[in-house]
Amino acid sequence: MHDDEAMGRLLRDAMAGEAPQLSPAFDARVMRRVRPRRLTPMGRVVIAVYVVVAVAAAAWLMRDLRMESIAAAVAAGALIAAGTSAYVRRLAAGH
Amino acid sequence: MRRYREPVFRLAVSILGQEFAPEAEDVAQDVMLRLHHALGSFRGESSVGSWIYRIAFNQALNVKARARYRAPHLSEKALATAPSRDLGPHDQLQDERRRQAVLACVGELPEVYQSALRLHYWLGASVGEIAEMLDAPENTVKSYLHRARRLLQALLAERGFDAR
Repeated sequence: MHDDEAMGRLLRDAMAGEAPQLSPAFDARVMRRVRPRRLTPMGRVVIAVYVVVAVAAAAWLMRDLRMESIAAAVAAGALIAAGTSAYVRRLAAGH
Repeated sequence: MRRYREPVFRLAVSILGQEFAPEAEDVAQDVMLRLHHALGSFRGESSVGSWIYRIAFNQALNVKARARYRAPHLSEKALATAPSRDLGPHDQLQDERRRQAVLACVGELPEVYQSALRLHYWLGASVGEIAEMLDAPENTVKSYLHRARRLLQALLAERGFDAR
């Protein structure tokens, strides 16, 4: 027991020193990574143009198809888009 | 989430050691981000605590392995200049050499002992706090501390130092 106490004192002396602290910028750095990223105005314009062009191209390509085929194609497209989006979100979250 | 940032940092720095506080902060940041993404999947507060400390412990060990490769750990440096009883009797010098020997020997203990010792003697954590961080019962932590001191005493004795 005596040796144990002496060892404790020795450890306290050897490790004496200021304990490190988290830097003041820590919270801001974490919040920057956590906050969802917003598109820039230019990014929004690009996305909007892409959507308009994609819808116009799809409508033109499917102009001669029957209504059932168009509905099936739209449903399949939506499923693939939802699956891909979920997968990319998981990847971004680091799972 | 905020209540865990300080303990996670302390746990990381207790594993990485005094020289690697910036790396410990990176570990804490990484763990906080993982916690943020996983928050929805926890059932209760207790499962968050043990999960987060386990992640922090493993993450810090990975960083330590890489950091050790980049810059030799204190224990290796100290080993290269192993203290000898033959050098001068100056008390201050002897104290400093003993201090260096203690720190070097701590670096040779099993990781969980190193962490418990640094948390307790350097960062001033209580046995209860250490038990929470290491996800172990308080009696186990007391046993870690006791065994770590005994091992340390033996390692110091091999180098010609005693605890008194």
